Amino acid sequence: MADETFLADDFLRQLMSVGEVDLLVGIPTHNCEKNIGDTVATIEKAFQEKFARERVVIVGVDGGSTDNTCEALLNSHATGAANSRGITSLRTIHRIVTKYDSVPVPGNALRTVLAAADLLRAKACAILSPNTENVTPAWIENLIEPVYRKSLDFVAPVYSRHKYDGLLARILLYPMTRAAFGGQLFELQSDEFAFSGRLASHCLNQEVWHNEAVRDAPQTWMAITALCKDFKYGQSFLGPKLRPVGGPAPDIVTVVRQVVGALFWCLENESAAWMNKATERPTQFAANGHHWLEGADQVNPTRGWEMFRSGIGELTPVLQSIVTAGTLSEIERTATLDAPSFNISHELWVKAVYEFAASYHWDVLSRDHVVQALVPLYRGKTSSYLIRHQDSSFEQIDADSEVLCREFEKQRPYLIERWKVKS
Amino acid sequence: MEAQIQPLWYKDAIIYQLHVRTFCDSNNDGIGDFHGLLQKLDYLQDLEINTIWLLPFFPSPLRDDGYDIADYNSVHPSYGTLEDFKAFLSAAHSRGIRIIIEMVLNHTSDQHPWFKEARSSQDNPKRDWYVWSDTDTRYAGVRIIFIDTEMSNWTWDPISKAYYWHRFFYHQPDLNWDNPAVFEAMWEVMKFWLDMGVDGFRLDAVPYLVEREGTSCENLPETHAVIREIRKRLDTEYPGRLLLAEANQWPADVSAYFGNGDEFHMAFHFPLMPRMFMAVQLEDRKPIVEILEQTPQIPENCQWCIFLRNHDELTLEMVTDIERDYMYDEYAKDKTMRLNLGIRRRLAPMMDNDRRRIQLLNALLMSMPGTPIIYYGDEIGMGDNIYLGDRNGVRTPMQWNGGWNAGFSGADPERLYSPIISNPVYGYQAINVESQKRSAHSLLSWMKRVIEVRKSTPVFSRGTMEFLRPSNHRVLAYIRKYENEKLLLVNNLSSTAQAVELDLHDYKGHILIEMAGKNLFPKIGDLPYLLTLGPYQSFWFRLRRI
Repeated sequence: MADETFLADDFLRQLMSVGEVDLLVGIPTHNCEKNIGDTVATIEKAFQEKFARERVVIVGVDGGSTDNTCEALLNSHATGAANSRGITSLRTIHRIVTKYDSVPVPGNALRTVLAAADLLRAKACAILSPNTENVTPAWIENLIEPVYRKSLDFVAPVYSRHKYDGLLARILLYPMTRAAFGGQLFELQSDEFAFSGRLASHCLNQEVWHNEAVRDAPQTWMAITALCKDFKYGQSFLGPKLRPVGGPAPDIVTVVRQVVGALFWCLENESAAWMNKATERPTQFAANGHHWLEGADQVNPTRGWEMFRSGIGELTPVLQSIVTAGTLSEIERTATLDAPSFNISHELWVKAVYEFAASYHWDVLSRDHVVQALVPLYRGKTSSYLIRHQDSSFEQIDADSEVLCREFEKQRPYLIERWKVKS
Repeated sequence: MEAQIQPLWYKDAIIYQLHVRTFCDSNNDGIGDFHGLLQKLDYLQDLEINTIWLLPFFPSPLRDDGYDIADYNSVHPSYGTLEDFKAFLSAAHSRGIRIIIEMVLNHTSDQHPWFKEARSSQDNPKRDWYVWSDTDTRYAGVRIIFIDTEMSNWTWDPISKAYYWHRFFYHQPDLNWDNPAVFEAMWEVMKFWLDMGVDGFRLDAVPYLVEREGTSCENLPETHAVIREIRKRLDTEYPGRLLLAEANQWPADVSAYFGNGDEFHMAFHFPLMPRMFMAVQLEDRKPIVEILEQTPQIPENCQWCIFLRNHDELTLEMVTDIERDYMYDEYAKDKTMRLNLGIRRRLAPMMDNDRRRIQLLNALLMSMPGTPIIYYGDEIGMGDNIYLGDRNGVRTPMQWNGGWNAGFSGADPERLYSPIISNPVYGYQAINVESQKRSAHSLLSWMKRVIEVRKSTPVFSRGTMEFLRPSNHRVLAYIRKYENEKLLLVNNLSSTAQAVELDLHDYKGHILIEMAGKNLFPKIGDLPYLLTLGPYQSFWFRLRRI
């Protein structure tokens, strides 16, 4: 272990009592007293039905809950788990809890889970969010099984999505990581994923845990680590994902800062790995399914387009430091277009993103400012997508997404060039 | 007989189960007999057991190891005579050893004169002593117990041209307990042996006595009524004698056989047994705790009978499908080891001959609530022969020494009723009584010591049980209490050393005295009590406030 002391004594005592396990499910929690019982019951049901013989533990890692989340996790009843004779699982299903911080910090939560996995010598682990309302035992099986029985080291989920959902992954994260690292993982920022004990130990031992990118989006870093290093990875279909009704909508600035910041930081951190490696690595689909959901609500692209225009106007001095004059000129020209004909081409988008990544690398500005400056451009590209695909079929969107991926791959030499020489 | 003045003697019993055929052959015909058994009573007395449960020794075609009885009032000639039995009974009693015999109420052999008469014609007065039908569709849906051999619970009788009902082998027709004449005849049989002085009966296949359409034909109220009437007569005419139920059912169903203390004195706790094996293999106390927590309270004058192995397959009827699959995969990888819904192996081979695991299971057996039963040969770690048919692999001759036929018989080896275990690991030259008696550290010597410790206090046999719940699930710990005495039992179910913190705040100020060595352990204070245990280790402590 890189550092044993960050675990609380009480947590270590709980780990001692659990002993070696085969499977571990970690749940980062924060004020989720109402949901956590259902999540735990679902996990236990999965253990009983799908992994009856395995030694298992559920690890709650809490970031400063002020309600009774920890107590609910430990004491909630697994409803309907017993047979008519009152016999439940073959083994003890352990539940343990620790409070790692007074506020939620995703990196610290994951680090705690990794430490538990390392100490308990878990063979396969999964992370689940208690805020995802429709987790089923099949999700847990589909995430863990490829790791536990097919020797994968990292399994990312694939959800059924509406066509306007998951755009950050579709137009930036997925195509860029695919072009840079040669591997195909669509969901790099998911709340649910699985990994092997081997990958857990590797990640735990990296001196990265105080880095902001890893603290904010550790799952993105872990996924990219799996892509870059000698780990086997795959994707597993989980079905549609619902968030709690009435929950706060994700703030796009925060999401971009965290996830794109993590991606750019990984490019920096793993530059030796990706700059010399262009070959595609196959991705295993451990569980397939239909990835599109019908019935998406229509989304008005106007607001995003307007925010793009105003953002570009306000950030021109900043953008001058980040992108080339040609790129900035093309962006400004695009900003003059009216909505029906508005389009940020794939070529412009990829070129701009690569210039942002290189500027992040060269520290032309505060790195956080570089990433934040990408937000208006991302809004513009999102609006382009919405306009372009209002009437598109799923097949047409898939085809266009593949064109975008190819564009990222085509311009990869440009990224390397910009990366090597500060302009 | 002392039994008359100790009505609850069975609670303090330590039962040794054997078949006379397997134990010692005195006349060199290759088959154990009562005279030979009598010669070995000193060994059993030395082992500190105080009750013997004899498997069926009645005249029988022996197509079900004697559970197919052809004459209830005699002794199979291979095992001796009634006089030999009486001599054995007297000798056992003179050593303070009580004798429980088998009583098969549910069925007879098809060679029993009653059945021969019953099938001779449909008008025979004995016809209604058995259960007949013109079709094989009565009692539809009732499960078949011997699924490996029987296709139906009905068998066509070509002599009287009707089907007869049998819950076990086809050659074991069920008696019709709705017929009062059957009850009176069987009571006369029981009286025959009670008058001779036997101390109790193990009643075989109890749940199946009475049949009713539309039911599972198991555990019916009418069956309980039969048992209550037998108990009533027993208490009136033979106080202090015992009825032990064989009812392979879930605890809630078996507990009904205790009635209000007016049916059986004791009953086997079948579901606990496989879970002890399961817990050791899983290294997890959950299966044991779960089943005991679901075990209902029983009347004060009743007692569970607990066991590890017996003459049958290790039955897996009272487990879930997942548990059964696990047990098969862990303990019967070779399918030859499986029979019906069970595993036909002995204790030592199931434990891979690991002395620590064998001792752990025996420590559990001796320290949990109930009267323990030791199956003959398990006290020395005898092996089995899975290549013998049916359950004969766990019924091989007792291994007394490393000499001719293991000291069991002077007959030519080819004449023995069963081959002796002779492989280098479990064979009689490696595993035998004589060699183990010479070593203070043998399994046999350990068994003697653990029995001595158990008998040193009534807490084990009569006390309550309360589980402690340390966070380390590999440790099974419980408190046993009786009157003013308290014991702490701690068992490491795992193959590795374990630390455990026990919440003993209710016993603050007590000191712990390890019962085998009488050694003192630190006093219980405010903090959780920390113990470390080696692999498969058990600690038995007396809690004393001095």
